[in-house]
Amino acid sequence: MKPLSFSLLRPMWQTVLIGLFLALFSASESAFSTESQPLDLPNTPDFQTDVAPLLKNRCVRCHGPAKQDAKLNLALGAGVVRGGKNGKAVIPGKSDASLLWQHVADNSMPKGEDPLSNREKNLLRKWIEGGAQGLPVRVSAKSEGDEHWAFQKLQPTIIPTVKNRSRIHNPVDGFLQNHLERKGLAIGPEASKPVLIRRVAFDVTGLPPSIAETQAYLSDHSPQAYENMVERYLASPHYGERWGKFWLDTAGYADSNGYFNADTDRPLAWRYRDYVIDSLNRDLPFDQFIREQLAGDEISRYSPKLPLNPDSIRMLTATHFLRNSPDGTDSSDGNEDEVRADKYAVLEGTAQILGSSLLGITLQCARCHNHKFEPVSQADYYRLQAILYPAFNVDKWSKPSQRDIVAATPAELEAHKKALLVHEGEMKKIRDRQKEWLSRNPEPVRILFQDDFNEPNATVASHWSSTAPGDDAPLGMPVVQLDSKQAPAVNITNGTLQIVESGALGDRAISTRQSFDWTPAKKDSWIQVRFDLIKGAPYVGYLIALGDYNDIKNKHKGNILFDGAESGQAKIYLDYPGPDGTQPGAIGESGYKPGKNYGVRITNIGDGNFQVAQLVNGLPENNTVNLKKKDLPPGGFGFALCCGRSYVVDNVRVESSVDPTELTKAQMETSGLRKSKSGEFTKQINALQKRKPADPPMLAPVLDLSPKIPTVHILERGVHKNRGDKVDPAPPAVLMDSVNNKAWENKPDDLVLSTGNRLGFARWITRPDTRASALLARVTVNRWWQNHFGRGIVATPDNLGYSGSPPSHPELLEYLATELIRSGWSQKAIHRMVLCSNAFRQTSNPTTDALNGDEDNTLLSRFPLKRLDAEALRDAMLFTSGELNMAQGGPYTPTTRGGDGEVIVPETHPGAKRRSLYLQQRRTQTTGILELFDAPSIVYNCTIRMPTTVPLQSLIMLNSPFARMRSEAFAKRVLKEVPGENHAKLTQAFQLAWGRPPTEAEESAANIFLITQESEYKGMPNSVECAWIDLANMLLAANAFLYVE
Amino acid sequence: MNHSNSFAPCRRAFLGRSGLSLGSLALAHLMSETGAKGAGLPEGNSFGGPDNLINLPHHKPTADAVICLFQHGGPSQMDLFDPKPDLTKLDGKPYQGDLEVHFSGQKGNVLASPFRFSKRGQSGIELSELLPHTSRIVDEMTLVRSVVTESVDHESALRLIHSGKFQAGDPTWGSWVTYGLGSANRNLPAYVVLSDPGGLPVDGTRNWTSGWLPALYQGTAFRPGANPVANLATPADLTPAARKNQLRLLEHFNKEHLSRYPQNAELHSRISNFETAARMQTAVPEALDLSSEDQATRKLYGLDQPETAEYGTRCLVARRLVERGVRFVQLFMAGQPWDTHSNNAASLKGLCKRTDQPSAALVHDLKQRGLLDRTLVMWGGEFGRLPISQGKDGRDHNRHANSLWIAGGGFRKGYCHGMTDELGYKAVKDVVNVHDLHATLLHTLGLDHKRLTYPHDGRPGSLTDIAVTKAEIIKDLLA
Repeated sequence: MKPLSFSLLRPMWQTVLIGLFLALFSASESAFSTESQPLDLPNTPDFQTDVAPLLKNRCVRCHGPAKQDAKLNLALGAGVVRGGKNGKAVIPGKSDASLLWQHVADNSMPKGEDPLSNREKNLLRKWIEGGAQGLPVRVSAKSEGDEHWAFQKLQPTIIPTVKNRSRIHNPVDGFLQNHLERKGLAIGPEASKPVLIRRVAFDVTGLPPSIAETQAYLSDHSPQAYENMVERYLASPHYGERWGKFWLDTAGYADSNGYFNADTDRPLAWRYRDYVIDSLNRDLPFDQFIREQLAGDEISRYSPKLPLNPDSIRMLTATHFLRNSPDGTDSSDGNEDEVRADKYAVLEGTAQILGSSLLGITLQCARCHNHKFEPVSQADYYRLQAILYPAFNVDKWSKPSQRDIVAATPAELEAHKKALLVHEGEMKKIRDRQKEWLSRNPEPVRILFQDDFNEPNATVASHWSSTAPGDDAPLGMPVVQLDSKQAPAVNITNGTLQIVESGALGDRAISTRQSFDWTPAKKDSWIQVRFDLIKGAPYVGYLIALGDYNDIKNKHKGNILFDGAESGQAKIYLDYPGPDGTQPGAIGESGYKPGKNYGVRITNIGDGNFQVAQLVNGLPENNTVNLKKKDLPPGGFGFALCCGRSYVVDNVRVESSVDPTELTKAQMETSGLRKSKSGEFTKQINALQKRKPADPPMLAPVLDLSPKIPTVHILERGVHKNRGDKVDPAPPAVLMDSVNNKAWENKPDDLVLSTGNRLGFARWITRPDTRASALLARVTVNRWWQNHFGRGIVATPDNLGYSGSPPSHPELLEYLATELIRSGWSQKAIHRMVLCSNAFRQTSNPTTDALNGDEDNTLLSRFPLKRLDAEALRDAMLFTSGELNMAQGGPYTPTTRGGDGEVIVPETHPGAKRRSLYLQQRRTQTTGILELFDAPSIVYNCTIRMPTTVPLQSLIMLNSPFARMRSEAFAKRVLKEVPGENHAKLTQAFQLAWGRPPTEAEESAANIFLITQESEYKGMPNSVECAWIDLANMLLAANAFLYVE
Repeated sequence: MNHSNSFAPCRRAFLGRSGLSLGSLALAHLMSETGAKGAGLPEGNSFGGPDNLINLPHHKPTADAVICLFQHGGPSQMDLFDPKPDLTKLDGKPYQGDLEVHFSGQKGNVLASPFRFSKRGQSGIELSELLPHTSRIVDEMTLVRSVVTESVDHESALRLIHSGKFQAGDPTWGSWVTYGLGSANRNLPAYVVLSDPGGLPVDGTRNWTSGWLPALYQGTAFRPGANPVANLATPADLTPAARKNQLRLLEHFNKEHLSRYPQNAELHSRISNFETAARMQTAVPEALDLSSEDQATRKLYGLDQPETAEYGTRCLVARRLVERGVRFVQLFMAGQPWDTHSNNAASLKGLCKRTDQPSAALVHDLKQRGLLDRTLVMWGGEFGRLPISQGKDGRDHNRHANSLWIAGGGFRKGYCHGMTDELGYKAVKDVVNVHDLHATLLHTLGLDHKRLTYPHDGRPGSLTDIAVTKAEIIKDLLA
């Protein structure tokens, strides 16, 4: 096969943007061409490079694999040769006799669209006149689906015989050399040992080699030195981290739910991340790896009634693969239709991930209509959806967090229960002592307001109002009724205050008729409100400083809402409601649960600041917020009524501290004692709280708990309201083998709790000697190849279909796919073969011949110079500075959006210096340095990254606190570790950063720099260190650090 | 630098191969300074100067820059742009007929607008009393009263109006414009977002994502304050001389490295990016520094009043950026302030106080500087609001009618397009969907929406995706 258009380009382009080439060459020939440009036609147009893209763009929608109008398929050379029901499409050499040309020339085709441009027409004609170069000579009469190479069973390959055997180490080299020889080229000479170990270390582990590793390799002169070095890295636990991350991107891993702006947390996703890392490190056979992710629950025969064991927990963890899709159903609001569409969106995302990660088919295009380019019908799409549907049944939907289960073995559960009992006993003891002491020594308070709701209902209005004191407008709309059960309303029932919201939006509230001064005059004095929560709600909202609620008079602020949540912490909204409101944060620790006494205390802490603390059972909690006097105008206290805030309260109190001067002597003593004693209690309780046995581990799996197969319909135009025909679960027909790979033929007898559909699919896709497993193997080895060499054998890793790029080395792809299956699906076996090939070991310095004959390095006439990807870059900076925290696994390290908008990892976090894959992968909050170096903000998934070169990357390497801090640690490390002369220090510094000692010129430049820079810092006590930090900064910013040769 | 010559032949081969194409020049754009200078733009095809990183438009444009004043939340059209006397007649009565509401539990009765409308300017287009300043530029604008969208969900509707697609992850039209036209100033980002100091808008940074276009084309958010771009400033502990020494050392290192890969354009580009970065360090603060603006200008934008100072500052910065060759500037508001589910009337007063004067000032100022002819200013949100109340005094989302205005850049002046029904619930005449709007906007920028494509999902992806949307240019909107 003639290589694609890549061959026309030099390597410079390849790393800039692979995708852009496709824009120009394959997908859209006419995308940018302008009529006014010269008709620069190739001398001898070729089918694959010149004509196929044109046909694909202008003809294939109607004459393609999906829709063969006139039984004509112009998507393939074979189809062009075969022609359609009206006869041959092309008669080589005779354009006027060719139907294709006739229809195009008289503009009768493309039907209903713009005619072909002059350039397109001329190209087509020239190609036919020139003998229709590039068409296959012989074609079979088989159906088209069978013909596309990627949808066939694996083809036997013959390792080519090449003339120049000297650069052949293994079959991989043979396939490559075969193509190179046709251009008079060969695999390049072996790279130097320092280059090789740096290359292999980054490739396999994503980290630079340590100095000890480098020394061991350099001093190993045995013939097996290289292979042994490769083996050591493949055995490293960091291998799983590196290659696990590739799979996690492919699988669409994220630590957040996405879809909506809220982008809520996915707190348990990390367990799947760790499963992936562990599976790779154990070299779990890839087919098993896929089966577990698709159907681990069914393989392990999960039942909520049966005890779990470590293996079944592992299998369940794997199924989180199917939960990687964005899922906004925990944040859906709006009408029923929208909420339902949000649920379908989860199924759609999952199908898209399945298609691109496993099948290399753009399945998602068949959601609304039959695929325009691939032999995938809309029915195929919904058959696949039907496989997933039992676990994501839209009519029995579970929100993300409701799908989580406790994942512990019976022994673990028992042990936990015991530990918890002991702990609770201890806690109770302390709390009882505290309660008892406090009741004996009550805090002196002045009661400003109290309502125990023991009077008749009709009296509510004597204490409460739907208008704030001093405000003439009611607190939002509709107005709260004061003695009614008709929402929105409050009423006294059973001696409690019932708060009944109306389920509507709108910011309604009630207020005390009494107004309070919320800013105690003296330092350390306070005012507080408290109430007993009798019956809770998702949000228990109450307000203080109720002033001008409608916010008409701008000067008059106030209205501070506390939104106590079941799950803990009360959010504060200042100047509520209205567009100018702000949220200064959240206070407290405890969630709002019935049976406790809640409230807030506002304490004058001096300098015009007022501290707001959440009270639980009379005690202030941690996490406070400071407000200014202007935020706290005089006003009422009240409860909010809207949006799910229906709850019941009792015993409302507004109290203030008593001025020390007004205290009796006895009260004074109690007050002092109370302070120290409550501090003591708090300390004890906090200490004990920390020792609380951790909850049994939770897991976020995919489960299918009914054997009943739900009915699934085709959704016309993809809209869930438009139900079409019913479909049965099945994989895409184009990949079904007619004889021995029917998906559901043998559901295991002991699989009683689920449909077994996903297990059927998992077995179907991994069964050897089938079309499905052949495609899976091709897609997989192609992606691995891409990760080794920067570009896949097929340049579009998520699309091996008709519309994808053709393979540059089809036989090599077949060979590797075959080897993968033959090796028992061993990922490490394939890596070993690739890493040990001479192609991988060759130098990255091109010869002139190579530049001329293989400009863009499609043929791999040299190893591609590769920039470190985002994670490797950040990890290598930390590794070089000696700061990298190598801890593996566990919950993510949270990231945060800093004041300047950049997403960073707070340096103070204990996990701040962990490897990048352990940083929070929040979809809307990709860590700044990673995003800038092309890490994806995952929407569905990512199978290829597009390396960019932009000035912001230079700025981050020069100026960011992250880069400066690594430079500082790096410099200090070198100065500390290497005594004596600059020569030794520089050698070490270069070795650490670039994997080699400096050249003479580099060393001399560095020495001159150190002297000049020291004089810049003259007079400073640490001028030497400063100069070294600046040097370290440049070592890390240099291309020798950023690139792997 | 001379090394550009070393790969110039390759570029010629490249251009020759593909037909002189926009995409190839987008690559030149990617290549930064070195690449651009070697690009050899054909004469007569660039506009804005031969030395700039400018790509080719498809046809003669009427605009080469965009300022989008985006109003998050859905401004209430019947209170601002689309007078409906029948609302007043039926105020408080039940709405007759079906109505799609977002919050179904709170459907109220017909709600009149409390605001007075009058004819404005020569054109006599009626606008609300809430927009006294916008009223003064009414003869410059095309007001569209018949915009419809496909979702009443904020996020989906935002993605639709920004990227033409419901779901997250597709490129915004700012990215498409930047991809199509490149930058006219290599020291400033081509696509700048001036976000609200109060915080991110709903849907956050996805409002300016480049989706599956290269990351290069995503919006760069300038933040208010001393560090408009993260890591722009040289660390305080480095003197200029110390930094200069560093860069000299780095150049030495990189040149030695490069000597082994002389043809590698990416390495060239990365080296020259350090120079570009240094220029950005001066260019960005300069563009944001308003000290050279005279009192009259400051007053025009309302910088002297507390209500308008913040938004006015960003509008003024937008003008300065466009003056300096930035292609696409977008202003956002924190959260979604126009989402007036309750307190509609009172909230609108505050919001108009904040935005009316600065928005109008921008158009006026661009005009007096002769920039309006080539700059397109668009004002609007993701959807409109309902003619009935939500609760007592709010308005719920409405996807069937929305108003927005566009001034300059070849759009018709003093023109009002489209009509809604008597109560303003549905657009009924000259209905404009988001895709047609996109096609038209691109058209004025010299870009053919059918040909501005990038491979995605195995086919040419585009903003308007005509195979699905059948988007067409709305000729009536063009001057």
